[in-house]
Amino acid sequence: MASSTRRPLKLVLFAIFAGGWVVAAYFLWRTEVPSDLKLRGVDLRSLFSPHQLHDAERFSLVDSLLSLGGIILLVVVLGLYARYGHRFMKESAAGPIGTGMMLAMLGLALVWLAMLPIGLLQTWWWGRHGLIEADYVGWISGSWGALGGEFLFICLTILIVMGFARLVGASWWLIGAPVFVGIVTLFTFAQPYMTPLEPLKNPVLVAASDRIARDEGVEGVPVKVVNMATYTTAPNAEAMGLGPSRRVVLWDTMLDGRFSNPAVETVIAHEYAHQRQNHLWKMIAWFALFTIAIAYLIARLTRGRGGMAVPAAVPLFLFVWIVFPLVTQPLNMAFSRRMEAEADWIALQTTRDPGAAKQLFEGFVKTTDSDPSPPVWSTLLFDSHPTLEDRIAMVDAWQARNGG
Amino acid sequence: MNEHPISLVVTDDRRRSRLTVFFRLLLVLPHIFWLELWGIVVAVVALLNWLVALIIGRPAKPFQHFIGAFIRYAVHVLAYALLIANPFPGFTGVPGSYPVDLEVPSEPEKQNRLKTFFRIILFYPAAILGGILLYVLYIVGFLGWWAALFTGRMPRGLRDLGANSIRYYGQIYGYLLLLTGRYPNSSPYFGMKFESAPAAAIEAAPLPEPELVSVPEPVEPPAAPEPPAAPEPPEPPAAPEPPAAPETPEPPA
Repeated sequence: MASSTRRPLKLVLFAIFAGGWVVAAYFLWRTEVPSDLKLRGVDLRSLFSPHQLHDAERFSLVDSLLSLGGIILLVVVLGLYARYGHRFMKESAAGPIGTGMMLAMLGLALVWLAMLPIGLLQTWWWGRHGLIEADYVGWISGSWGALGGEFLFICLTILIVMGFARLVGASWWLIGAPVFVGIVTLFTFAQPYMTPLEPLKNPVLVAASDRIARDEGVEGVPVKVVNMATYTTAPNAEAMGLGPSRRVVLWDTMLDGRFSNPAVETVIAHEYAHQRQNHLWKMIAWFALFTIAIAYLIARLTRGRGGMAVPAAVPLFLFVWIVFPLVTQPLNMAFSRRMEAEADWIALQTTRDPGAAKQLFEGFVKTTDSDPSPPVWSTLLFDSHPTLEDRIAMVDAWQARNGG
Repeated sequence: MNEHPISLVVTDDRRRSRLTVFFRLLLVLPHIFWLELWGIVVAVVALLNWLVALIIGRPAKPFQHFIGAFIRYAVHVLAYALLIANPFPGFTGVPGSYPVDLEVPSEPEKQNRLKTFFRIILFYPAAILGGILLYVLYIVGFLGWWAALFTGRMPRGLRDLGANSIRYYGQIYGYLLLLTGRYPNSSPYFGMKFESAPAAAIEAAPLPEPELVSVPEPVEPPAAPEPPAAPEPPEPPAAPEPPAAPETPEPPA
């Protein structure tokens, strides 16, 4: 085909692809939270003491600043590695894919080294606020072990990307992106089987969880407990699994007496709402949208280095692979906050207990030193959940709508 | 004689990259993962190979190649993990692709069926020594890690000790998996080929005896008064290879 006809065809295909992308994102973006719901400001000083607010504000600000510093450092290190990393090719006697693996691992190793001080500072800061035990050696050895896991994962990634690039050339991203989505789906499905989970023993909560599951239409999804008290005092819960592996998992720090049963029931209702609304599938779909975009971007940007078939392109690949999600992080966080808000709303509709919800959110501030009203930049960049002020405001709004 | 069908060829220059040394134990993880997967297949192939060797009196050629590549690859990985060599190894065990490389017989040799049948029992004495050498390798790896991290070089003694231990491992697994019927040899430098002679050998080993050169018998002088043809001068004995020139130390980082 002549290049004069190929170019318009490519543009049309690109437009169709981009249009499909936007439509898919729009449908994923929608939630059950009423669109006319107006959240009013909350008088935080009536809920928390000045000392509590001051502590929470200081803790969250320093934590967010450390995270921001980490991001900046990450971008700098990966930028330098993208520029000079190919020099490490001489340290390999392997073939192209093996050398690519080594370059990718070295890039992550350098990031680990650079981030070490930030991680230690965060450990100190969290330990200072009683959220974890400040065990620096334990933290280093733990993150060292995690780096080993990252190495294995990045090697698999390089094997897929370079393998397809060597097989099919520049169009590798068309096959590679769905493969990554498949892997993430598999991990999401298998996660409950890989996590040591215990049954919920509190009979009141067991009965409540059965009732909530029935009300939300997710009967048969069990509530389990995971031991996290060994690592942290922070309370949390999560929805795990897909299809038959679906679970609601409560951290045991949620059940240590700091939260009342009705508050824990709100948490269970919130997590069941994630399952009811298929939020994990939606997250995978959202991930797929961005993975396709990122894979295409990598294929385009690495052309100058010979494409992903050659190891010299790997440092640049690593840069785009890690930095691009940071660029889109505000969008991803906003998407996550919408899903969390939807789960909060459905939990309120199910439990119809705004007092318990308020107690829960106030308890989060007191037990985790989380700033109920953090700076906007921090929320945009780091908050996967609505701010605690917004969550309390949603409870007020629900009460107002339901004759409270 | 220092010939063994399975020998280790060391062409390593002892330079080490500090960054890869620091992360060596993690960098080797994908290889360990791959080695485990490959090892499962090798276990099946080795069993089949054993049956073949019992029936026809020699291993099957494709199995010989497959198992040979696996053992060679395992040697590459072990050498990389324990800092006996510097570059990141390939994943296929290609011969000649690594500075610490195992030479294995490419052609299957005829093997005694009785010894083949009892191979796993015969393997045990060598395996016991191998178990001891494993501790030697750990020590080499530990000390070598510190030395290489600070100096950017692997001390020659440690490198050679480690290489010898790895060579012995190559021989015991080559014997177990029927690459050869020759029993592993625990003597140092037996089956070792250094591109540069190991320091210990230069210092401690006696000078090699000059080869005996047969002097041609004097030719009977011809009856004719012509001068007798001078016997060709015997070739001088092969001089021992000079030790490699000391390597220039890397500038400190």
